[in-house]
Amino acid sequence: MPVPRRSQSSQARIGALAPVGPSRGPPRRGPISLASLALLTLGAASVSGYQLALQQLGDSALPTGAFAHSLGFETYVDAGVVRDEASFGVWLSAFIFQSLTYSDGLAIRFFYEGVDLGELDALLSASLLPRQVREASVKMGLRLLEIGAEVFPSPELELYRDLVTTGRAAGHQPLAFAVVARSLGVPLPEALAAYLFATVTSLTQNAVRAIPLGQNAGQRLLRQAADGVAAAVERIPHLTPDDFGAVTPGLEISQMRHERQRARMFMS
Amino acid sequence: MGELELRVAVRGQRSVAAHQYHRGALRVLRPHYLDDSGQVCYVVVNPGGAYLGADLFLLDVEVADSASLLLTTQSATKVYRTPGSFAEQRMNLRLGEGARLELMPDQLIAYREASYRQHTHITVRPSSSLVMAEVVTPGWSPDGAAFRYEEVRLRNSIRVEGPDGNRLLALDNLLIRPPAGDVTGMGFMEGFSHVGSLLVVDPRVDQALADDLNALAPDHGARTGISLTRTVSGTTGLVLRALSNSTGELNNLLAACTSLLRKRWHRQEPLNLRKH
Repeated sequence: MPVPRRSQSSQARIGALAPVGPSRGPPRRGPISLASLALLTLGAASVSGYQLALQQLGDSALPTGAFAHSLGFETYVDAGVVRDEASFGVWLSAFIFQSLTYSDGLAIRFFYEGVDLGELDALLSASLLPRQVREASVKMGLRLLEIGAEVFPSPELELYRDLVTTGRAAGHQPLAFAVVARSLGVPLPEALAAYLFATVTSLTQNAVRAIPLGQNAGQRLLRQAADGVAAAVERIPHLTPDDFGAVTPGLEISQMRHERQRARMFMS
Repeated sequence: MGELELRVAVRGQRSVAAHQYHRGALRVLRPHYLDDSGQVCYVVVNPGGAYLGADLFLLDVEVADSASLLLTTQSATKVYRTPGSFAEQRMNLRLGEGARLELMPDQLIAYREASYRQHTHITVRPSSSLVMAEVVTPGWSPDGAAFRYEEVRLRNSIRVEGPDGNRLLALDNLLIRPPAGDVTGMGFMEGFSHVGSLLVVDPRVDQALADDLNALAPDHGARTGISLTRTVSGTTGLVLRALSNSTGELNNLLAACTSLLRKRWHRQEPLNLRKH
C-alpha cells in the first residue's frame, strides 16, 4: 500500500477527490446495482434491495457493543450536568452537530467519493484524540467487520479486513459501515442517515439506562434527534477536507476526563 | 503578507541558525540563550502588529538532528476584521533525530468579524521531542461582547517519519465558529471563555506522564482533559485541552506542564521569557 508522504499531499489527494457539493451515488458494482435499484416485489409492497439490509445494519440489536459506550456523555452525567431529558437532548444535538458530522459522517462521505480506505482509517486514528473514543470506534468497527463478513460479504469488505489483519488499518466503525453500505448499493445520503441515526439510537438507549430516563422520554429524544441527523446529512456534502475531525473543546475534554472517572457504567 | 524561513543546527555546544530568510511582515529578533543548555531562542515578530483579511503568513522551520529551538512570539497574535475573506498562517515544522522544539506563541485574539485559519504541519522523527502550547481568547469587540469573530480554525497535523514510512500520528483540528450557533454552552465552551492546548510528542510520553500532568491541573482554574494519541514508530503524543476564564490561568497551567517536562527531560529551569 502506498504510504502518503506528507500531509499536504494527502490533503491534495482528498481535495481532488472530494468536490464540495452533493455527491454522486455509489459506484455501480456489487451484487445489487444502483442502476436497477433492485426492486424486489414482496407481495403488494416493493422493497428496494438494500432497504432491509440497511435496517439490519442500523438496528440497535446489531451486536457491535454500542451499549457499552457513552462517547463522553457519562462524564456530564457524573457531574450532574446531564441529568434529565432536556439536558441529554442538548448534549446529543451538540454531539450530532460536531463529532458525528465532522468525523464519522465526513469519513463515510470521503469513502463513497473514492478516498483511499487506508488513508481514511489513519485519519480517524489520528484525529480521535481522546483514547477511549478512538478505542470505541475500533472496537465497534472490528465487530462490524466480523458481522459484515458473515452476513453481507463483499470483495471491498474483504479488502478492509485484510488491511486490518495485516496491521495496515485499525478498523473504524464508520468506515466498516460505509464499506458494507456501499457494497449493498446504498446511496450516500441514506447510508449517512442510517449510520448517524443508529449511533444516536444507541446513545439514547444508553442514556435511558444511565440517567435514568423513561422509555417514552427516550422516544421523544429520538424524534428530536432525527431533525439533527437530517440536518447533518444535508450539511456533510458541503464540508471541506480541512473540516475533517474538527472538534469542540467541551466534548473532547469530557471524553478525555472519562478516563479518570471513578465509577463508570461505560467504557467511553 | 509575510514569509519566514529558519533552520537551526548544532555548531559546537550550541544550536544556531544555519539558514534564515524573511520577507514582508514577519521576522525574528536576534537569537538569545536563556540558559547554558545550548537551546537557542528565537522570537517571531510581526511589525505590522496584526493579521488582516487575505493576509497569508508562511513559516518554514527546521530543527536539524540534535538541535534545540525555543520559538515564541513577541506579543499576542491579533486578527482584525477580515470582511469576506480570512487571514491565514501556514507553518511547516520539521524535526530531525534527537531534535527538540518548544513552540510557545502568545495567545490568539480574534477581533469582531475576524476569520483566521492556522495550519501547522509538523514532521518529527521517532526520537524528536516536540512541545507546543497555545491559548485562544474569546476575542474582543467594541461592545465588550465575547465571541464576535466569524471563525477560528487551528489545525495541527503531526506525522512521524520513521522506519515504517511517513505516517500520521495526530490530527488536532480545533474549529470555533460563533455564527454557526451558540458556542458558549454545553458540548462547546461549557460556559468558559478561553481554550488552551498543549501537544507533546516524544518517545518518553506514556500514561505515567499523562497522570503526572493531570495531577497539576486541579491547582488551576481550568477544566482540563488529557489523553494519549496513538503510537507510531515508537513515539506517542500527549494532548492536554483546557477551558478557563482567563489567559493567565491557562498560561499558568501550561507553564506548570512545560516546567515539569523541562525539568524531567532536560534538567532546565522553568521558562521565563520576561516579555511583559
